Amino acid sequence: MKKIWSIGLNTFKESFRKKMMYILLVFALIVIGASKFFGFLTAEEELKMIKDVSFSTIEFFGALMAIFGSLYAISTEIERKTIYTLLTKPISRSDFVLGKFFGMAMILLVNFILISLFFIGLLIFKHSPPDIDVLKTLVLIFVELIMISSITLSLGTFSSDAFNVICSFFLYIVGHLTSYGRELVERTENVILKGLGDMLYTILPNYENFNIRDKVVVGVSVNWAYVGNTVLYGVLYIAIALFIALYFFERREI
Amino acid sequence: MRRKAWPYLLIGILLFLPLGIVQIRVDYERKVQDLESNLVLMPGQMAGSLVLGGFKGLAADLLWLNMEEYWHTGQHYKMLPLLETVSWLQPNYILVWSIGGWHMAYNIYAEVKDPNEKQFWYDQGIKFLKKGISYNPDKYDLYFELGWTYYNKGKDYPNAVAMLEKAIKFPHPEYVNDVLAHAYEKNGQIDKAIKEWEYIRDNFVTFVPVAERMLFNLKTKGTTIPKENKD
Amino acid sequence: MSIISTRDLTKIYVLGKNREVVGLNRANLEVNEGEIFGILGPNGSGKTTCLKLLLGILFPTSGEAEILGRPPYDTEMKKQVGFLPENPYYYDYLNGPELLTFYGNLFNIDHGLLARRIDHLLELVELNDARRLALRHYSKGMLERIGLAASLVNDPRILILDEPTTGLDPIGCRDTRNLLLKLKGQGKTILLSSHFLSEVERVCDRIAIFHRGNLLATGTLAELNARYQADNLEDLFVKTISVFDNPETGQPGAAQ
Repeated sequence: MKKIWSIGLNTFKESFRKKMMYILLVFALIVIGASKFFGFLTAEEELKMIKDVSFSTIEFFGALMAIFGSLYAISTEIERKTIYTLLTKPISRSDFVLGKFFGMAMILLVNFILISLFFIGLLIFKHSPPDIDVLKTLVLIFVELIMISSITLSLGTFSSDAFNVICSFFLYIVGHLTSYGRELVERTENVILKGLGDMLYTILPNYENFNIRDKVVVGVSVNWAYVGNTVLYGVLYIAIALFIALYFFERREI
Repeated sequence: MRRKAWPYLLIGILLFLPLGIVQIRVDYERKVQDLESNLVLMPGQMAGSLVLGGFKGLAADLLWLNMEEYWHTGQHYKMLPLLETVSWLQPNYILVWSIGGWHMAYNIYAEVKDPNEKQFWYDQGIKFLKKGISYNPDKYDLYFELGWTYYNKGKDYPNAVAMLEKAIKFPHPEYVNDVLAHAYEKNGQIDKAIKEWEYIRDNFVTFVPVAERMLFNLKTKGTTIPKENKD
Repeated sequence: MSIISTRDLTKIYVLGKNREVVGLNRANLEVNEGEIFGILGPNGSGKTTCLKLLLGILFPTSGEAEILGRPPYDTEMKKQVGFLPENPYYYDYLNGPELLTFYGNLFNIDHGLLARRIDHLLELVELNDARRLALRHYSKGMLERIGLAASLVNDPRILILDEPTTGLDPIGCRDTRNLLLKLKGQGKTILLSSHFLSEVERVCDRIAIFHRGNLLATGTLAELNARYQADNLEDLFVKTISVFDNPETGQPGAAQ
C-alpha cells in the first residue's frame, strides 16, 4: 500500500509541471466566472444560469482533465524509460498501475475541489447557498470523472496515445447517449438486435447516469438511493477498468 | 516466465454481472424519479442531447435571453419559437411555461387588434400551459397559472375552478386558496365559496381579516363584491 | 554458488508477418556470488535483452532465468537487487535526495536509515554539492552517478548495470571502476554489460561474449585467451566472433 501511495504521490507532484492542467483549470474558472455577468436576468433566472454553466463546465473541463491527464500517465514513463528503474524495484506491476490511478484521482480531486469551491463561492455571493442537491450533483460528476480517468488509463496499458485519445472521446460522447440508443433498440422487433443492444448498454460506460443536472437546476430533488446506486455503478465500472488495466499491463513487454 | 494475468481479466469480466444489475436499479430509479420521463414523449430531448450533450441547460438559458430581448423590443411573434424550443429542451423549467403562457394570453393578446387574433392568442396561452402541466403534473404552479388565466382573462369560471382545485392538492402558497374562493363565488358555487373562506380563516393567520370580511359579505349579501364595483 | 542463472533462455521478437528476430538464443549463464561478471558484445548482440529478461521487463519465449533462485517477477528477490539502466532518465523535476528518497520508499526502508544512507551515497558518487539541483540540470555524467546511487539505495546484494560507463569521461570511468571494486570488496555481486573492452578487462573476474543473440563463450580472461589463442580481450573478441561466423574454417570471413 505504501508503494502505491509513493507512486501516486509522485504522479501527483509531476502534474504540477503539466501546463495543460493549469490551462484547463483557468479556462473552467473563467467560464464559471463569466456566468455571473448575466445580470439583467431576474434573480431566479440568473441563478439557474450560473448553475447550468457551472455544472456543464465542471463536467466538460473535468472530462478533458481526466482524459488528458491519464493519457500520458503510463506512456510517458515508458517513453522516458523511467519505468525501467521503477519496475526493477520491488514493486509489482499492479502496484504501478494502481499507483498511477491514485495519482490521477488525487489530481482530479484537487482540481475538482478548486473549481467547485469557486462555483459554491459564487452561489453564496448571490445569496443562494448550495443546497444538498447541488452537492449531490457535484459528487456524481466527480465519480463520473474518476470513471473517465480509469478508462483512459486502462486503454493506455495496451494502446497508443492516438488510439487512446480517440477512443476516450468517442466513449465520452457515446456514453452520454447510451440511454437514448437503448430506447431506440427497445422499440425494434428484432431479437438479435435487442440482445446486442442490451449487451452494448451494459458494456459501454453510461455517463448519463451521473447527470441529474436538468432536474436539480429547476429545483427538483433527487433522493440518496439514486445517488448511492449511481456511485456504486461508477465504482464497479472503475474496478472493471482497473482489472483490465492490470491484465494488460502484467503481460506487457517494455 | 511471468505472473499469471488471466485472473485479472476473469474478475474484470465477471464484474459486468453486478454492474448490469446495478444499472437496472439505476434505470428504475431514473424512471421513478422522473429523471428521464420525457424520452418517450419528446424526441426533442434526444435530439437536444445528441447535439448539446451536457450543455442543454446552457443552450436553454441563452435562448431564453434571446426571447426576453424580443419581448423588450416588442417582437412578440418571434418569441414563440423560442418558447417552444426552451420548453422542449427543459420541460421541467416551470418559469418557461408560466411566462410563456402569460406572454401569449396577456401581452400578445393586448398587442393585437383583431378580436379573432386575440382569441387565438388566448387559446395559444391556454394550450401552452396545459402542455406544461403534462410535464409537471405534480406541482401546483401551472395549475394555478392556468386557473388564474381562465379566471382573470377568460372569465371561464368552471374551468378556473377545476384547475384551482387541482392546484390546492399540492404544496402551495396561501393565495391559491384565496383565488379559488373567489372563483367558486363567480362560478355560482356560494356554499363552496363559504367553505373555502372558512378554511382560509381557520388556517391562514395573515388572511383572517380578509376571510372574515368575505364571509360576512357572502352570508349577508350573497356576494363579496359591492354592487357598485361588480365586474 | 550461482546467484544468477539462465537456462536455455530464448527471446524471439516477432516484428510482423514472417519477420522474426532472434534477440537471444538459448543462453546459459551462471554468475557466482561475489564476482564481477561482464557480458560483452557489439550492439544488438543480446546483452540488454538478456538483462531485461533477468529483470522481468521482457518475457522469454522459452527457457528460464533466475536470480537468487527466484523468478524475475519476484518482489522479494528485487529487494536485494539494484539496477542501472542504459542512458538513465529520471523524474527531472526532483533533485538528488528527493529521487533517492522516492526510490528508497519503495523498499520500506526505515526513514532514519534511509536519510543516512542517502547522505552516504551522495558522498560516494560525489553529488553532495548538487543536492539542491533539479535533475533536469544535471549533465550526463551526473545522471549516471545519481543513477548509480539510486541502484544502491537498498544496499543490494546484487548489482546489475547496463553500460555503466557510457557517456563518462576517463576520470568518470576510473571512479566508477574503483567504486565497483570497492563494492565487490563488500561482498556484492555485480553483473554488467559493456562494449568498452578496456573497462571490462580491468574490472571483471569472468566474462561472457555475446554475438547476434548467441552466448559464444564464458570464463575468466585467462581461460578464454588460452582457448581461443588470443593475446588480449580485443583479439579474443574478434576470434570468438569469427569462429561463430565461420564454424568450419575458423577464419574471419563473410558472415552467414
